[in-house]
Amino acid sequence: MQSIALAKQALRASAPSKIFARSLATATQKPVLLKEFKIYRWNPDQPEEKPKLQSYTIDLNQTGPMILDALIKIKNEMDPTLTFRRSCREGICGSCAMNIDGQNTLACLCRIDRSPTKNTKVYPLPHMYIVKDLVPDMTQFYKQYKSIQPWLQNDNPPTQGEFLQSIDDRKKLDGLYECILCACCSTSCPSYWWNQDEYLGPATLMQAYRWIADSRDTHTEERKDRLQNDMSMYRCHTIFNCSRTCPKGLNPAAAIAKIKLELAVE
Amino acid sequence: MMSTRALGLSSALRTVAFAPRTLRNQVVLRNGISRRFVQTESLTPTANIDILNKQRLKRPSSPHFTIYQPQLTWIASIANRVTGAGLSVLLYGFSIAYLIAPGTFDSVHVVDFVHGLPEAVKYAGKFILAAPFSFHAINGLRHLAWDTGKFLSVKSVYGTGYAVLGATAVSTAFLTFLK
Amino acid sequence: MSAGLILRSNVSRAIARRAALRSSFQARNVSQDHNKYVPGGPVYQGTVNDATTFPPASRVHGSYHWSFERLLSAALVPMTAAAFVTTGSNYPVLDGLLGLSLVMHSHFGFDQVLLDYVHKRKFPVIAPIANWTLRAATVGALVGVYQFNTNDIGLTELIAKVWGA
Repeated sequence: MQSIALAKQALRASAPSKIFARSLATATQKPVLLKEFKIYRWNPDQPEEKPKLQSYTIDLNQTGPMILDALIKIKNEMDPTLTFRRSCREGICGSCAMNIDGQNTLACLCRIDRSPTKNTKVYPLPHMYIVKDLVPDMTQFYKQYKSIQPWLQNDNPPTQGEFLQSIDDRKKLDGLYECILCACCSTSCPSYWWNQDEYLGPATLMQAYRWIADSRDTHTEERKDRLQNDMSMYRCHTIFNCSRTCPKGLNPAAAIAKIKLELAVE
Repeated sequence: MMSTRALGLSSALRTVAFAPRTLRNQVVLRNGISRRFVQTESLTPTANIDILNKQRLKRPSSPHFTIYQPQLTWIASIANRVTGAGLSVLLYGFSIAYLIAPGTFDSVHVVDFVHGLPEAVKYAGKFILAAPFSFHAINGLRHLAWDTGKFLSVKSVYGTGYAVLGATAVSTAFLTFLK
Repeated sequence: MSAGLILRSNVSRAIARRAALRSSFQARNVSQDHNKYVPGGPVYQGTVNDATTFPPASRVHGSYHWSFERLLSAALVPMTAAAFVTTGSNYPVLDGLLGLSLVMHSHFGFDQVLLDYVHKRKFPVIAPIANWTLRAATVGALVGVYQFNTNDIGLTELIAKVWGA
C-alpha cells in the first residue's frame, strides 16, 4: 500500500518534467475523435427514479477499440458509479453481455463504431429485471440451466477407464459445447421475453440438446420427455434471433429444430 | 479508505499470532475501535430471501422490442403471425357472418358488392389480400423447410428470407392484376 | 424519446409487478407478502440454487401437437395449388377439405397467439374467456364454412368470382 502511494506521489512530482511532457505530446498528436455513448442507468438506491439514458462523450483516440474499453474508460475517468459486469475481456467468460446499438453481444467482442456523428446506445440485456445499470438479474436463467441437468448421466459406466466415443459421435457436440452461457441469445428471443418463467429459451435448450446428442449419456429419454409440454420448448417459433445474435457464432435455433425433429419421429 | 484500514488490520492480525502478549493486547484494542465502523448481522436464510425479494420487487424490467435492432429474423416472424392472423380473422368473420345472415352474405350479394366498387378500390383491396396471403404462404414453406431440418444456418436464413420477400413481391403483383 | 421507450416497454412486466404489489397490499398483515410468486414477476420460486420445474409431460401438448400442426400446414400446400387450377363446383370435396383445413390451421394459429401473449397463469380471468371464445368462434366458422360450401358456390369459386368482379 505504502509503495503505491509513494509511486503516486513520485508521478505527481514528475508530471512537469521533460520526459513526461514529451510522451504526452506524442500521444496528443492523434486528433480528438469525440463520440457520444448513451448508457442505460438505474440505481437501486433511488428505486423511485425511472431508468434513464445517460450521455457520456469520450475521445475514441484515447480509448481502446472495443465497447468494453469505452465503458471502463467512462467508469475510470468520468463516472465511477456506472455499473456493469466484466471479467475476461476476451469473449470467454460471458460477463459483459449487453445490448449494444440494438443487438445483444459481448461488450469485449464488439468494436466501437467510429463514426463521430452517430451515438452508440448501450442497454442491459432486454426484458430482464435490472439489479443496477447494465447488470441484469440472471437468477431465472441459471435456475433454468440447472433444470435440464447439464451433466453426464450414465447408468452403466465403463468398469475401467473412461467413456469411449467415436470420432463421429464426438463431432455431434461441436457447436454445442462451446456455449459460454452469456444469455445473449435467450434475451434476444421474443418468446423468451413473453414467457421466460416457463419457456427455457435458446441457451438452455441448446444445452438440453448437447446432452441429448451425447452418445455417452443414457438418460436421453428422460431428457426428451421433460420437453414434452407446450411451454418448455414449443414456445420456440424458429425466429432465429438467437443464432443471429450469438457472439460465439453458435446456432441454438438449429439445435432446437433438431430436438423438435427427434421428438416428432419417435 | 475503508479498504486500506481493513487491509492493514488483517495483516496486523496475521502478525499478532506470533507477537508477544503485551503487543497482542494493543492490537486487540485497535481492533475493537475499528470494528465500530463495520457492523454485520447474522441472518437466517428466510430473512435473507425476505430482503432480497423486497429489493427484487423494486427492479425495473429492461426495454426489449422497442430498442432491439429491426432484423429480418424477427420482423419476418412477426409479419408471418400478423398476416396469418389477419387472413384468419377474415375467414372466421365471413364464415360466421354467413352462418348468422346467409341472405346478406351469400355469393351473389358479395360479388355484386365488389362489382359495384370503383376500379381503384378493387385493386387496392386485391393488393391488401394478395400481399399477406403471398407472404404467409411462401414464408410458411420456409418454416416447413426449417421444421424438416433444412436451411438452418444463419446464412441460409437470410438467403431464404430475401428469396421469400422477392417471391412475395412477384406473387403479390401477379395476384393483384389477375382477373 | 428514449425515456418514453423505456417506459412503454415496461408496461407488460409492470402488470406482473403491480399484481405482486397489489396482492402484497391486500395481504399486508401477512409478513411474507412480498415473497409471493407471481408468474413472470421478479420473485422466483425456491432459492437461487433450486432448479426450475417442468410442466407435466404430455405428448398431446408436445410433439404430437407440433407434428399435426406441421402436417396440416404441409397439406394446405397442394390443396391451395389445386384450388388455383380448378373450381369448387367441379370438386366439392376439395372445397370441403380446404374449408375444414383452413379453419383448423387458423384455430391452431390463434391458439399459439393466446399461449404466447394471454396465458392463463398470467391472466387467470381473461385467458379462459379468450380460449372459450376462440373455441366457439372456431365451431361457428366451421359450421359457416360448411354451410357456404354446401348451400352456396363454395370458397374457391367465391374467391375466383370476387377476384374477377
